[in-house]
Amino acid sequence: MLGITLSDLRFRARQFLIAVLGAGLVFAMSMLLSGLANGFSVEINQTVQGFGADAWVIAQGSSGRLSALPPLEEFSVIGVLSVPGVRSAAPVVVQPKEATVAGSVASAVVIGSVPAVINRVPLQSGRTTSASGEVIADTRLGAPVGTDIVMAGRTFRVVGVTSGRTLVGGLPDVYMSLSDAQAVCFNGLPVVSAFITHGTPGSLPKGLVSMSNAKVEAATLQAMKTGVSSINNSRIFMWFIAAIIVASLVYVTALQRTRDFAVLKALGCSSVRLFGGLALEAVIVSVAAALVGMALSNYMTGVFAQPVDIPINAFVVIPVSALVVGLLASLIALRRAVSVDPVTAFAGA
Amino acid sequence: MAELDVRDLTVEYDSGGYMVRPLDKLCFAANDGELVVLLGPSGCGKTTLLSSLAGLLTPTSGSIRLRGEEVVGLSGPALARHRRETVGVVFQAFNLIASLSARGNVMVPLLLGGVPRRQAAKRADELLGVVGLAERTHHRPGQLSGGQQQRVAIARALVHGPLLVLADEPTAHLDYIQVEGILTLLRTLATPGRVVVVSTHDDRITHIADRIVELAPQFATADRPPEELVLTDGEVLFNQGDRGDLVYVVEEGAIDIYRLRPDGSEEALDRIQAGNYFGEIGPLLNLPRSASARAAVKSRLTGYPVRAFRQKFPQTIKHAVGQETIPAAP
Repeated sequence: MLGITLSDLRFRARQFLIAVLGAGLVFAMSMLLSGLANGFSVEINQTVQGFGADAWVIAQGSSGRLSALPPLEEFSVIGVLSVPGVRSAAPVVVQPKEATVAGSVASAVVIGSVPAVINRVPLQSGRTTSASGEVIADTRLGAPVGTDIVMAGRTFRVVGVTSGRTLVGGLPDVYMSLSDAQAVCFNGLPVVSAFITHGTPGSLPKGLVSMSNAKVEAATLQAMKTGVSSINNSRIFMWFIAAIIVASLVYVTALQRTRDFAVLKALGCSSVRLFGGLALEAVIVSVAAALVGMALSNYMTGVFAQPVDIPINAFVVIPVSALVVGLLASLIALRRAVSVDPVTAFAGA
Repeated sequence: MAELDVRDLTVEYDSGGYMVRPLDKLCFAANDGELVVLLGPSGCGKTTLLSSLAGLLTPTSGSIRLRGEEVVGLSGPALARHRRETVGVVFQAFNLIASLSARGNVMVPLLLGGVPRRQAAKRADELLGVVGLAERTHHRPGQLSGGQQQRVAIARALVHGPLLVLADEPTAHLDYIQVEGILTLLRTLATPGRVVVVSTHDDRITHIADRIVELAPQFATADRPPEELVLTDGEVLFNQGDRGDLVYVVEEGAIDIYRLRPDGSEEALDRIQAGNYFGEIGPLLNLPRSASARAAVKSRLTGYPVRAFRQKFPQTIKHAVGQETIPAAP
């Protein structure tokens, strides 16, 4: 049956090609959605890990979401430094703000801290900040080195550009000195969003709690929960569409091949073997579509404004799932193959 | 003992809610190496018989013995083996698999039988050479003429060296030049070790046959005089599926026309009163009776052969077969 199946695939190449491209596009979209959902946690992870902290000290009662940390008095750092287990502590400001770049207003996330923290930011181009009024911006801001940007009425010069540093679904991080960040976010008041520590703090002064990096990441991702859930639901929907495309193709093929099935049965072929041939066609189409989808997804990441980070396991899950989709899709044609009466072969043209 | 022995073969099936019996106690036999022609018009049961011989249809009753082995009642692997190894079928519409080359089509029965691909290809090429298509082994059916496709179908039927080769209307889709080649080929196939059964309504094939089986009986209708019949109350005149050559006119009494359903119940169709006729379609078109007729009361009938009926009732016969006079344009 393998030879007959492959010949039929070649014979109906155009028909199969259309199905492979159609299902392939759907698979690509499914992969992009996987990448989109994954992108939210990847961007948070990269930003949080970028601080190089062992723990975060934040206001008691705060969820730990980076984009919505309630302000703390900057001098509280003294109390934090005296806590057992803390080797060093640095204040940080993290807050979404608008930035005007070349006359256009864009959303960004201001991140301010001491030079030791800001200097950790990996640069794609330019240099790190060395004075007030200088910033490092993520490429997504669209502001190359040398560009002036305006935030809260203050003008900053981009001296360095980094990449992969975003939050809240692709908002670019803009790194600056602590005092500049306080000026932009808190009108210059000596308040901060959190303290990051080296060493894990023991009992903290009243009104402060500590969180691990993982907890901060989880709390920040929680804000995207409904978005991620919608994306995952859409991804399941995509699987259904791919299955329907493959099932339609296999069913139409079964209809077109009714006479062939009757002849093959008359020649002694069993229904099980006929079904095996159909299932094989469906699997070949599904897997080919999955491969096309994987290839296309690399070129389609620009479809979304948010960061798309396709997880490696998707490249394994997609072909395996395609196999399952193909087998399920071929079930729709099972009855057709089994119920064909071989006497039909005797009917005239 | 005959190589092929068909005894009392009856096939009955449900067709649209009514029982039809295309074969009714058919008997014939064929010796080794014979070419048997099944002759008859469409609907007389030729394809039903071929399907039964091929093991694709289980007869209602009767026996088919091939080299002494009973075919009726085979099931499961034995039936699949019969289809794969004992019988080769040449279908009316060629029925080649469009996606496969000539060689691929001929290889199919061997591959289904588990023969290695290389060996199957060698055998297919050999057979295609025998039917004169050695140069066309890689052509798909769409690239072959009707006669060439039929030759591929014949090669496919022969590829596993079957005992019985069945050909259903093998000349139906061919022009006369192609017919000549196919008939010659069929004749040469009927050699010792093989029986070839060909169904056709083309009586040219009868000239090359060793044996002719007429599936539609010929009646001596030409110049017979009408027959008078008297039926007692409830007496059956003919049954659905019977063949007959008379059209009946009810002189006295009444006749009930009814059909038998698959569950054995009857469906009343009509009651023919005195002065009316019935039973004309079967004799006119040489088809089995499509319904049964039984006297509703004691009745007297006249049975007319078709020619006599047409002479006596020229207008009614046109009406009977659906011929209407088309009015001339004003």
